[in-house]
Amino acid sequence: MTEKILSVRDLTVAFDTRRGPLTAIDRVSFDIHRGEILGVVGESGAGKSVTGSAVIGLIDRPGRIAGGEIHLRGERIDNLSPEAMRRVRGRRIGMIFQDPLTSLDPLFRVGDQLVETLRTHTDLSAKAARTRAIDLLAEVGIPAPERRIDGYPHEFSGGMRQRVVIALALAAEPELIIADEPTTALDVSVQAQIITLLKRLCREHGTAVMLVTHDMGVIAEAADRVAVMYAGRVAEIGPVASVITKPHHPYAAGLMGAIPTLSQEADRLSQIPGAMPRLTAIPQGCAFNPRCPKVFARCRVERPEPIPVEASRVACHLYDAAERAV
Amino acid sequence: MSAYVEVTDLRRRFDVSKPWLNRVIEREPRKFLTAVDRVDFAIEKGETFAIVGESGSGKSTVARMVVGLLPPSAGEVTITGVSMTDPRQAAARRRLRARIQMIFQDPYASMNPRWRVGKIIAEPIRAFALIQGEGAIRARVSELLGLVGLHADDARKYPHEFSGGQRQRVAIARALASQAEFLVGDEPTSALDVSVQAQILNLMRDLQDRLGLTYLFISHNLAVVRHMATRVGVMYLGRLVEVTTAKDLFAAPRHPYTRMLLDAVPDLAHVGRARVPVSGEIPNPIDPPPGCTFHPRCPLANDRCRAEVPALLDGVACHAVQEGRA
Repeated sequence: MTEKILSVRDLTVAFDTRRGPLTAIDRVSFDIHRGEILGVVGESGAGKSVTGSAVIGLIDRPGRIAGGEIHLRGERIDNLSPEAMRRVRGRRIGMIFQDPLTSLDPLFRVGDQLVETLRTHTDLSAKAARTRAIDLLAEVGIPAPERRIDGYPHEFSGGMRQRVVIALALAAEPELIIADEPTTALDVSVQAQIITLLKRLCREHGTAVMLVTHDMGVIAEAADRVAVMYAGRVAEIGPVASVITKPHHPYAAGLMGAIPTLSQEADRLSQIPGAMPRLTAIPQGCAFNPRCPKVFARCRVERPEPIPVEASRVACHLYDAAERAV
Repeated sequence: MSAYVEVTDLRRRFDVSKPWLNRVIEREPRKFLTAVDRVDFAIEKGETFAIVGESGSGKSTVARMVVGLLPPSAGEVTITGVSMTDPRQAAARRRLRARIQMIFQDPYASMNPRWRVGKIIAEPIRAFALIQGEGAIRARVSELLGLVGLHADDARKYPHEFSGGQRQRVAIARALASQAEFLVGDEPTSALDVSVQAQILNLMRDLQDRLGLTYLFISHNLAVVRHMATRVGVMYLGRLVEVTTAKDLFAAPRHPYTRMLLDAVPDLAHVGRARVPVSGEIPNPIDPPPGCTFHPRCPLANDRCRAEVPALLDGVACHAVQEGRA
C-alpha cells in the first residue's frame, strides 16, 4: 500500500451567523495516497470548495473548523498556528484555483513570481532559482520558457496562465496539491491539455492531488478515486470507475444519469426532483431523503454512516446489512 | 418551400480601434474584429439547430443577430420569409417579433429584481397586447407557470426567491408568454448544476413536443448539444466549419476541428483513458491566420490551407476533406 499523504477525519466546518452556526461540512472523512488524484465532486453548495479551503487552512471568519482532524503525512495540521500553517502552505501543499489571474500578480513578471516562490520555500540562490523557474515552465509545457519567463501574466493566454499557476504550485515540490476547479474557466481543447498535464506531473512527482470540480467528465478522466459530496457530507467515495459506472448511493446514481454524455443517446435525462437543501434547512436523517426515490422511514430520522460496499464506502441505509436482511 | 429561418452570408465586424486621439498620436490604423464571417444555415420548423464552438467562435453573436438584437454588418436573416434587416418589411417584422424569444445564460440578469414573477411573465403579453383584461392575463400567467413546472402561487414571488433552475423556468415561461414559436437559447443551462440542467433540458424537449417549437441552441457543451439538437453547426473563429445532422456529427465528424473537439471533451465514458494531446489554442480573432483559420492547429494543413479560405461545401469547410486527404 502506498503512503498516506493526507488524512481527513470527521472534518466539520461551521459558519457562525447571527442565527446560530451553519454546518457547511459535516463529518467528512477521506484519505489521499502518494501519487493519487482524488476527485471531489458535487453540485454548488455541496461543500467541496470549503473542504479544500479547510485542508489548506484558508477558511475565513466567520467560518471555522468545528471538529475533526486533518493530518498531512501523519502530522496534524488543522490546529497549527497561522504562522506555522503559512509555512506549510506553498511548501508542502500547493494550490491551483479556477481563475489563474487571481493567483498571479499582474504587476510582476511571471519569472519573478516563480523565483520569489522558490526562494521563499527553498534555499536556492537567485541564479539557481531562475534556472529552476525556466525548467518548471518547460515542464508545464510553455514554449520558449527562457524568453517567456520575462513576460507579464497579461501576455499569456488563459491556458498558458493556468500552466504558470501549476508551475507555481509545483515550485516547492509539495506533497499535496489542492486544485479547485482548475479547468472550469478554460475552453474544452485547452482543458484537455491541462488535465493531461496535471495527471502526468502528479505521476512523475508522486504528488497527491485533491481535484475539486463540478465536472464529472474531468473527474472521469483525471481521478483515481472520487468522493461525491451532498449537502456538506460525503455520499459515496470509491474508485472512479465504480462510482461512475455503478454508483451505489441514490444521489450519485441520479447525478450520473443526469449528465448528458457523448457516447450514448438518451431520449430523456434522468432527473432528480428538487434542489440541494440550503444550509439553514438540512433535513433530519439523511440529507438526501426528500429527493430520494428509495427513501424509507429510517432515512428520515437517522443519519447514515459510510459503510463499505464493494470497493466503495457509501452513506446510505439501503446498504446496511440489517436493512438488506429484511 | 423555404426554411423557417434562413441565414445567408451573415457577417459581423466590430470596431475595436483605440480612441481617435490615440490613433493619431500612436499612428495606428483602425482595427476590426470579425466576429462572424460568411455564415450560412437554415433551420426547419420544429427542429433544434445547435451551434457549438469555444469562446470567441462567434456563436453568441450569431444568436443575437438572428433575433435582431444586433444588426449584421452584411448578409441577411429571414424568418418565415420576413427579413430581419430590410426596412421595407418593418411592419411585418413587428408582428413577427412576438413569435421570437430569447433565453439567456443568467436568468437573474435578464429579469427585473424589483418585479414579481407574475409581472415579469405578463410583460410580453401586455407589450404585444395579446390578451385584454387583468383577469385573463392572470389566468394565462398561471397556465404558463404550470407549463414550466412551477406553481401558480409562484407569480407573487420575486426572482431572488427562486433557485437558478426555477429562475430559468420563469425565463422560459416568459419566452412562451407571447406565443413564441421560435426560441433562441444562448447557453441556457451553462450556469446550472447538472441535476438542474437535466430538468431544464427535459423541460425544453417536452415543450418542443407539445407546442411544436423551433429552437436555435447555442452551447459550448457538446454533450448537451448531442442531447438536444437535430442538426448542428460547428463554429471556429467566426466561421461555420461543419454543418450536419447531430447523428452524423457525433458518429462520424469530418472537419479536423470537430474531431479534435470531440476528442478533447472529458466524458463519463472515458474513465482513466489516455488522450491524444490537443495542440494550441484559438488564435486572436483581431489578427486571425490567413487561409483556413484552423490551419496552425490542424494536422492535415498544407500550403493551400495556409492561403485559401475553404468554402462550406456539402456541410464541411475543409480542403483536406474535399480533396480526400482526411
